[in-house]
Amino acid sequence: MSAIAHQDHNEKKAFLVNSSSLKEVRIFCRQVFEKLQIQEDLKDELVLAIAEAAQNIVKHAFKNAADPNELMVVQISCENNKLQIAFYDRGTPVDPKKIKHREIDNIKPGGLGTFFIQEIMDAVEFKDGKKPWINHLVLTKQL
Amino acid sequence: MSYKVTEEGNIATIHLDGEIDMDVTEKAKEVIFPHIDAGKEVHLNLSNVQYMDSSGISVLIESHQKGLEKNTKVIIKDVSKSVLKVIMMAKLEQILNLE
Repeated sequence: MSAIAHQDHNEKKAFLVNSSSLKEVRIFCRQVFEKLQIQEDLKDELVLAIAEAAQNIVKHAFKNAADPNELMVVQISCENNKLQIAFYDRGTPVDPKKIKHREIDNIKPGGLGTFFIQEIMDAVEFKDGKKPWINHLVLTKQL
Repeated sequence: MSYKVTEEGNIATIHLDGEIDMDVTEKAKEVIFPHIDAGKEVHLNLSNVQYMDSSGISVLIESHQKGLEKNTKVIIKDVSKSVLKVIMMAKLEQILNLE
């Protein structure tokens, strides 16, 4: 837990759903975390967790989607030192029961993104997506 | 991501530069795999890679496994602190050849 009292903050941004947007997602996160004065090591971890979640949207929720104008929204908020990152997308509905990372000792490419997210964050929760959104993922971490 | 390849004898040294994410993994594979397929010992220098996600880690695993198949080695050199942290989070520091 951080000794610093981070200021309350709420900021969101929309990104096109494609792999080229992942860099922009990272830039956005780093800018917000700068404002929140989150220490460097934790900032790197949080950026990784967020980028992995965004990558999952591109890779899985929009696996068969062809619309190049589809958007995903990333919202970062901090209240009373609790960081919450919400993702909204209109891809294929996610069944949380089917999400699992590979066994970490079974060394093979792939299946690590969800593991990283779970390692870094305190909680990972899929909520009901309110219109127009279909998926609403929320990651939380006590700072 | 940019890269530079130098070859000396049977060793191909590949310097990767930039951030390695899903957007550039195919390009990274195109740069690395032909050298492994040719049976070269590949030295992957990551000193200028400041960010790597699970897709980049998958490229490292695939390269390592390909190296084993081809009876050669893939050695990962000069890993930055931030990338090493991700490799360790994936519990791969004892699996990959890190120098």
